[in-house]
Amino acid sequence: MDIATLVFSALYQFGDAFAFLVLSACGLAVIFGMMGVINLAHGEFIMCGAYVTAATVHAGLPLPLGILCGTLASACVGVLVELLVIRHLYERPLDTIVATWGLSLIATQGTLIMVGSTMAGVGTPFGSFQVGAYSYSIYRIVLFVAALAVLGALYALFNWTRFGVLARATIQVPHMAAALGVDTRLIYSLTFACGAGLAGLAGGLYAPTMTLVPTMGATFIMEAFVTVVIGGADVFLGTAPAGGILAIVKSGMTSWQGQLFGQIGLLIAVIIVVRVLPKGISGFVLRERT
Amino acid sequence: MTGFLGLFRRLEGPQTLGRGPAFWALFALVLAGALAYPLFSDGYTVGNTVYFFVWVFIALSLSLIWGYGGSLSFGQTAFFGIAGYGYGILTINFGASYGFTWIALLLAIGMAALVAALLGYFMFFGRIGGVFLGIVTLAVTLMLERFMAQTAGPEWRIGAARLNGFNGMSAMPPLTIPWFGGPIVLFADVGLYYVVLAMLVLVYLALRILMNSSFGNVIVAIRENPERAEMLGYDIRKYQLITFVIGAALAGLSGVLYTVWGQYITPSSMGMTAASLPLIWVAVGGRSDLTATIIGTLVVLSGFQALTIYGSQYALVFMGVLLVLTVLIAPNGLVLGLITWVTKRVARRKQETA
Amino acid sequence: MALLQLRDLNKHFGGLHVTNSVNLVLEQGEIHCLIGPNGAGKSTLFRLILGEHHPGSGQIWFADEDITALKSFARIRRGLSVKFQVPGVFKGLSVRQNLEIALQSRLHGAALDKEIEGLLAFLNLEAEQAQLAGNLSHGQKQWLEIGMAISLKPRLLLLDEPTAGMSPEETHMTGEMVRRLNAAGMTVLAIEHDMAFVRQVAQRVTVLHLGQVFAQGSIDEIVADERVAAIYLGQAHA
Repeated sequence: MDIATLVFSALYQFGDAFAFLVLSACGLAVIFGMMGVINLAHGEFIMCGAYVTAATVHAGLPLPLGILCGTLASACVGVLVELLVIRHLYERPLDTIVATWGLSLIATQGTLIMVGSTMAGVGTPFGSFQVGAYSYSIYRIVLFVAALAVLGALYALFNWTRFGVLARATIQVPHMAAALGVDTRLIYSLTFACGAGLAGLAGGLYAPTMTLVPTMGATFIMEAFVTVVIGGADVFLGTAPAGGILAIVKSGMTSWQGQLFGQIGLLIAVIIVVRVLPKGISGFVLRERT
Repeated sequence: MTGFLGLFRRLEGPQTLGRGPAFWALFALVLAGALAYPLFSDGYTVGNTVYFFVWVFIALSLSLIWGYGGSLSFGQTAFFGIAGYGYGILTINFGASYGFTWIALLLAIGMAALVAALLGYFMFFGRIGGVFLGIVTLAVTLMLERFMAQTAGPEWRIGAARLNGFNGMSAMPPLTIPWFGGPIVLFADVGLYYVVLAMLVLVYLALRILMNSSFGNVIVAIRENPERAEMLGYDIRKYQLITFVIGAALAGLSGVLYTVWGQYITPSSMGMTAASLPLIWVAVGGRSDLTATIIGTLVVLSGFQALTIYGSQYALVFMGVLLVLTVLIAPNGLVLGLITWVTKRVARRKQETA
Repeated sequence: MALLQLRDLNKHFGGLHVTNSVNLVLEQGEIHCLIGPNGAGKSTLFRLILGEHHPGSGQIWFADEDITALKSFARIRRGLSVKFQVPGVFKGLSVRQNLEIALQSRLHGAALDKEIEGLLAFLNLEAEQAQLAGNLSHGQKQWLEIGMAISLKPRLLLLDEPTAGMSPEETHMTGEMVRRLNAAGMTVLAIEHDMAFVRQVAQRVTVLHLGQVFAQGSIDEIVADERVAAIYLGQAHA
């Protein structure tokens, strides 16, 4: 194998890992960064997005529209969950973990009861292409581009829109924002919906690549957690660079020893990083800046 | 001698519910009932009761770390699994003669404690806490399950012990007491019942003493206000680490007893569902009190067992709903809330009649 | 004899110089008040002394030992103690248990109980000893925390706004407490806005402004200093 194909293979692996980490994590990161809430039902929002995407595709919609439906469905469930549960627990972050954990259990088992142990999947579109001796899936490239697009869209949302500016104001000085007439409850609600929707989007995007089972959320959450822990509370200063670094660790370990060791590598990386940078990469960057 | 008596005085204190002759009379009564219970039951039912007791230790470990220490850990299930597999690997390789099963029990618990010490060092000395502690420990637990699940191949063996992937490890010897005229093998019936009951009483009383001691004072102080605790001169990282290791050892004891009880252990005993159940028992019972935790665990576990008749998925959905409602309505736990309410009522009644 | 010395202490938060070449000497046995407009860097200076922040450059010496690199708890064990600005009591525990936790590393058994009784009397909290600390009034919380801080028998007591939220009577009582502690040999460094309190207790006053030592002297000298009045007025206009 010549150098060019080797480099391409490494880049492809990296892009694949990066997309998975960023797409898995950004919903969790938005909710954590903006609200300080860790949503342990994150994996189930992903599952919800994947299921709705698959269902709408089976009903005859094209895949992009299906993914949109999955995203919206997750966002709607997010609004409901925020209204019924999260809203009452803002003062108690540990209790939010416990409550969302309960929700995750309900969602997994409820789906198992209602839909059954598996759901018919969706074929991976676009086929593959050949570089050197190996063939690569075009859809994986699409996922990488989607991850970049999501990061870009989030940046635009939180920096250039009225909602984004109000949201950041609410996070930094809630009392002041409330005094200025911002409906902080609405902001929290929308932020949670946004995070849930991003989870649904991740589910929709990955629906064509995996088996749809009620416990599929668990496949994503480890990566999501690790990225958020390493990244810290800021989506752009944290999640994106953390995704990059972890993707190198994961793709390196995976191609060396297989997928499981890729994940073990992630875990070891996170345990070492929390010892060195307790507030994550964004905490580190922010401390240097401010 | 006075030091020894001092320990007994620590059985009561601000950190544990129940004091005075009335409480200890009730305690003695419950204990007597538990001791007499096998006389009125058959071996099979008694064996099933042991299964309930086995879980109490992991619940107590969570109460210690989360309820008293204020650090939510999802790692208890991982320590449970490490010790369970540890016991299996040791006894399958070295057998059960000369009381080795008891040494294996201690070694397996030691393994869980050692892993906890390592993990805890990175977390507490990195000063992460709160929600991050929860997700790092959860990630460790999930990783361990995934790792064990893929060990199906024949290359995954430690000595004579095959890890066996999802099917789990089985056929390890039960706890065995060497005795004149042949060893006593503790299968899951009356014999094991008394041994586990004795362990339970011992652990319960020891934890009461520990939590009412000056060590326990510092632990709850860290939960209430870590900065203030440190500014009273306590190295809070050390206290948190020690609590975490003790908790891991207790979870490990649970794991060994589980393995001993059914003579098998599988990766799913460290999965998401397995990790959620102790959390539910402890949250519903009342995490910040040992007695409430034990009562909550036994009550919720029996309820869960009764519900699984209708299908375990339904039972799990019900457990999830119970957890969410508890957090929303009675954040200190249903059992603990009930106990405090009743004692207040009784106290008021006494005052009125006096 | 100097008990605490801050030598050329600097702390940046990015471009913001919150502590700018601070030199401060605290004599053994004095009551020293630290005043200055909001944002002068008073609380940051406390956090530097306590080891919650670490200085960019400079040294902190306590009792002829360089403690700049020590962790907070190690500094406390060498004889520092603090009452925070926002009362840092253990809210879910009883008043008595709060004091017990503060005292238990020094005393045990009957001696511990006796010391608790003495402290409860000193703090006027005898009637509240079984209550949860979270249920105390704001002033009582302040006293309880002062009680916890002095339980360690510190050589230097740091008080961050000890009378915030107190009535004039309570403020006066607090002042008397501080003077009694000082008479018993304790050195005190207090951040305070209430000038009546400062006048009541302070032997020396340091004015901090924009992270720098702006003026130092007796309370009368400071009050008479027009430049000090100007920075407070400037604050009022801003």
